Amino acid sequence: MYVYIYDSFVRNKKFESAIRAMEVRLTDYGIAGKILRLNNYTDAKPIIDDEIRRGAKTVVIVGNDETFGHVLSRSATCDCVFGFLPVGQSNTIAEVLGIPAGVGACDVLSRRRKERLDVGWMNNRYFISQLHVLPAKVEVVYDDRFKAYANDKMEVVVCNLKPFYWKPDRHSKEQFVVHPQDGKLEAFLRPLTKAGFWGYKYESPSIFPFEEMEITGKEPFTLEADGKTSKEVKVKIKLAHGKIEMIVGRNRKF
Amino acid sequence: MIFQQKSSSKQFNETEILEPVRPAPAASEDNVETIVGPSVNVEGDFASEGNIIVKGSVAGSVHTSKHLVVEVGARIMANVRAGSAQIAGEVRGNMKIKESLELQSTARIMGDLEAKTLVVEAGALLLGKVSMPGLEENKVKAVRSSFGKKTEEAPVTV
Repeated sequence: MYVYIYDSFVRNKKFESAIRAMEVRLTDYGIAGKILRLNNYTDAKPIIDDEIRRGAKTVVIVGNDETFGHVLSRSATCDCVFGFLPVGQSNTIAEVLGIPAGVGACDVLSRRRKERLDVGWMNNRYFISQLHVLPAKVEVVYDDRFKAYANDKMEVVVCNLKPFYWKPDRHSKEQFVVHPQDGKLEAFLRPLTKAGFWGYKYESPSIFPFEEMEITGKEPFTLEADGKTSKEVKVKIKLAHGKIEMIVGRNRKF
Repeated sequence: MIFQQKSSSKQFNETEILEPVRPAPAASEDNVETIVGPSVNVEGDFASEGNIIVKGSVAGSVHTSKHLVVEVGARIMANVRAGSAQIAGEVRGNMKIKESLELQSTARIMGDLEAKTLVVEAGALLLGKVSMPGLEENKVKAVRSSFGKKTEEAPVTV
């Protein structure tokens, strides 16, 4: 049995036709199912647990990167297969998973090509897409073997499934993309150096693939993971291998 | 890892379409895995399974089974073991390279080198002992001593 979890933004009129087309295609394939709608304060885990108890075998997330991270970071431990139907802007994870936008995603879902995905684990919770430490004076210890630090502030981005986009500086028209590989987490460190009288300038990033790392700061630093922001002094990040069973497309990037 | 450059007209977070684009300059090496950027300092036992590019500074030890690139301005104060290496920066420590070691004109090496193949560009500075597998030390000693004996024991004919 399929259960579809819709994000609240897909109610918007501009997505109405896309959603309707998808629902028609899903009905054609005979994989239509119960539709649940997320609200801002809904925790996905108890809802999914409840549906699994009622016999749900596949849970399909309908939304964008934010929805994907929000649902899976809370329900990574649920015993079911996950699917994803990307809707709207900012759907970078769908591309990594090889799921096209629009009705094509329903075809991928119906083929049920399953892969086990790795999940990032950070201070007792999971993160799926990306973890972002805003520029702060931090030190990073990798696999208990070596540490990396900058002379001034440093931005840290840990990518699991969401690609990392960066520009050499704010005004630069060039933009670089790094697609994460599966099997390891990638950490991108971007030190800031003083530029002129006012602001700071980003240096080109350092890239370290790792399985375990620890970020420590003398002062609390701001951390964002799957849309959730918190202040931390010490964060331990690990990789949980093959935690999620996911339906992916043939053109996936791992 | 796929290291790509996006077309310039896109916004920073706009990620709807990722077009196939030319590779970033840092990714000119194939299979780049670890990059130590400029103004990043690494301390400790720095080991990687893949290629390493160093643009900052590393202290401790460096170990990779693949390719190591030390760029201009980079500093390594460590013993280095790598599959192959290309040095344009400064290295203070002993280097043991399995295959080829290339010292570019800006390279400054203070330590002993061991490599199968050594390429030194004009202008590279090197202070240390160079050894290459194939000529073992015992053989060299034997050759030296035999040279000495020959000169000593040479029959004198009048």
